[in-house]
Amino acid sequence: MPAPYEIFVLVKQVPDQGSKAGLNPDGTIDRARAKRMLNPFDRYALQAALNVKKTYGGRVTAISMGPPPAVEVLLETLEHGVDRGVLLSDKRLAASDTLATAYALYKTIIWAGHYDVIFCGLQTTDGDTAQVGPQLAERLGLPQITYCQDFRIAADQVYADRIIEGGYQKIISQMPLLITVANSYHRLEYKSFHGSWKVQQLLRNTEEQNKYIQSVDLDVIGADEQRCGLKGSPTIVAATEKVGEIGGNCSMHEGHSAEELVGEVVQSTNLQEFLAI
Amino acid sequence: MTEEDKTANPVRGEVLIVAEQILGELQHITLELLGAGTYLAGKLGSKLSCIVLGHSLGDIPQKLVACGADTVYVADHPELNTYRTLPYRRVVCNLLDSMDTPAHICLLGSTTTGRDLAPRIAAHFETGLTADCTELDIGSYEHKSKLDPTKVGLYEGCLYAIRPAFGESLKARILGPWKNPQMATTRPGQMTPLKPDPNRPGRIISIPVNIMTEDNRLIIAETLREIGKGVKLQEADVIVSGGYGLGSKDAFQLMYNLAACFANSAVGATRKVVDQSWIPYEHQIGQTGKTVRPKVYIACGISGAIQHRVGMANSGLIIAINKDVDAAIFKFAHHGIVGDVFQVVPEMIRQLEAVKQEKEVQTVVSAH
Ligand SMILES: Cc1cc2nc3c(=O)[nH]c(=O)nc-3n(C[C@H](O)[C@H](O)[C@H](O)COP(=O)(O)OP(=O)(O)OC[C@H]3O[C@@H](n4cnc5c(N)ncnc54)[C@H](O)[C@@H]3O)c2cc1C
Ligand SMILES: Nc1ncnc2c1ncn2[C@@H]1O[C@H](COP(=O)(O)O)[C@@H](O)[C@H]1O
Repeated sequence: MPAPYEIFVLVKQVPDQGSKAGLNPDGTIDRARAKRMLNPFDRYALQAALNVKKTYGGRVTAISMGPPPAVEVLLETLEHGVDRGVLLSDKRLAASDTLATAYALYKTIIWAGHYDVIFCGLQTTDGDTAQVGPQLAERLGLPQITYCQDFRIAADQVYADRIIEGGYQKIISQMPLLITVANSYHRLEYKSFHGSWKVQQLLRNTEEQNKYIQSVDLDVIGADEQRCGLKGSPTIVAATEKVGEIGGNCSMHEGHSAEELVGEVVQSTNLQEFLAI
Repeated sequence: MTEEDKTANPVRGEVLIVAEQILGELQHITLELLGAGTYLAGKLGSKLSCIVLGHSLGDIPQKLVACGADTVYVADHPELNTYRTLPYRRVVCNLLDSMDTPAHICLLGSTTTGRDLAPRIAAHFETGLTADCTELDIGSYEHKSKLDPTKVGLYEGCLYAIRPAFGESLKARILGPWKNPQMATTRPGQMTPLKPDPNRPGRIISIPVNIMTEDNRLIIAETLREIGKGVKLQEADVIVSGGYGLGSKDAFQLMYNLAACFANSAVGATRKVVDQSWIPYEHQIGQTGKTVRPKVYIACGISGAIQHRVGMANSGLIIAINKDVDAAIFKFAHHGIVGDVFQVVPEMIRQLEAVKQEKEVQTVVSAH
């Protein structure tokens, strides 16, 4: 599969951590009440996808599963230079755990067509499991590189650095494959002028928007609804409990001159006991 | 299954731990998992087993028995020398498939290996997996929700997988009693290992390794481990750590200058600055670096990412200097200084030097 490549990137809309999302009684998130944003970890995956396109040529498809407002994150990826978006939205997907999510995304990917490489974020800030990527790779029967910190492609092989405890692994993999991108990968570049302009046009014209963003449901992708949502999820949140922040109660020192701030800390702690005398 | 069967406590499958070794070195997380597994197996009335994969494993299987395993499955093969997703997945799934009574629970570490492998095993068996647990327990669970009638019922001997959620502000108890093995990964440093007992009895069983060509689509060219022993981070009373907020390699001199104020100190760093080559790897603190517990930890220009936090959160006194009042580090530091490191740190050095001189004068005076 020589370049140009078909590049897929998976992005999720998550509740903004700044605005504390409420929880439903069953422990799932009340997405309606929360402010929404692109999962911060997916920004690195997006940059990786765009870098492949820039360096080797190809087309980037961003895929997301979520309620209809998730189209916002797909539009955001278009502003950065993504070519096509696919949104999987269906009420029957509610309360999916990672296994059910990976199944639904797997069916979406098969529907979306040929791919050479799939990028995922390391993890989400709401699910926070880092499981969906590898579970998806299992369904698709692909090799995977998780915690990928950097990579290049040569002769249709991927050469990657993977983070491990106390060091790195240098990996060589055939394509197609799935890569989860570490948060030490290159930062997401600014939106392109052309991309932003295009999205402005799309926002005014639904018909035009549908050319760039395909909306699908379980019937379109041919997914088995028994394997989706609550029914397809082998785990359940049985209970949640509020915990105090570990450490907690940080005494904040701010607003004065450095001299005063430091003075407060030096005087109110046991720092002096450890001085070299 | 009738109602009776469900509660009748049938013969329970084993609790299986997937051991982790890097370049032949058994990882501490495995000992922690054996500690947790011993507790779970005891409560369930089942056995604790452990699978270890690698090549020329030396006395690792014996160590695993000494640390709690009733049975150790050894998969020894040159191709298993270094961890790779597909071959490891193949061998572990084959083992689980071959068991007469399916394993009840399967546990891995929330390490870069465990978090890579566990989801693949779970997806293969279509079973539940809870990531990054801080507590594990066994208990019963009654599922009442009629949304899915096939799941309603009372379940005994369920794995309670307890993990932080929403930036650690909530603790969630997650269950998946409908399918075995019930799976979880545990965060390093959370479970307590047993004291090794070389006289513990246990079986060591060699298991077949059938790697397929398709498992070799990905190869490891090299494994680079850069943890040095030279920097005495673990013994220091005071650690001065620098992060990306320092802006440059040269700015690390400021860290050394502050550290020099203290009698027994060392300089630490985040992974991000190590990746920039501002400071060598042996200074790195965190999940993929060292775990430290100094009396004082001074974090300069560090955001407080969870991977850094797990390596230093147990320090006696944490002082954080960061110019962003919303930085995560202020959520768990004891003292937070909101300010620019380039103003705050030189000022701290100045004041500490002043205190030192005062004390020196006092010592000289009292010596007379
Ligand atoms: C698998 C994996 C393993 C990892 N393992 C580790 C690990 O072992 N250890 C580790 O540390 N990280 C690890 N990381 C990386 C971790 O997620 C973070 O990316 C990293 O800790 C961030 O480093 P930082 O705080 O130095 O940088 P940043 O997150 O960029 O934070 C810099 C901070 O400096 C502040 N700042 C900027 N300028 C100034 C100034 N002039 N004065 C004061 N403050 C300033 C900013 O407000 C910011 O909060 C790992 C990541 C992965 C994916
Ligand atoms: N609903 C979703 N839609 C698209 N991608 C997803 C979704 N959930 C998870 N992912 C992808 O899987 C990664 C890991 O997610 P998680 O396992 O939830 O931590 C994310 O960074 C995304 O790339």
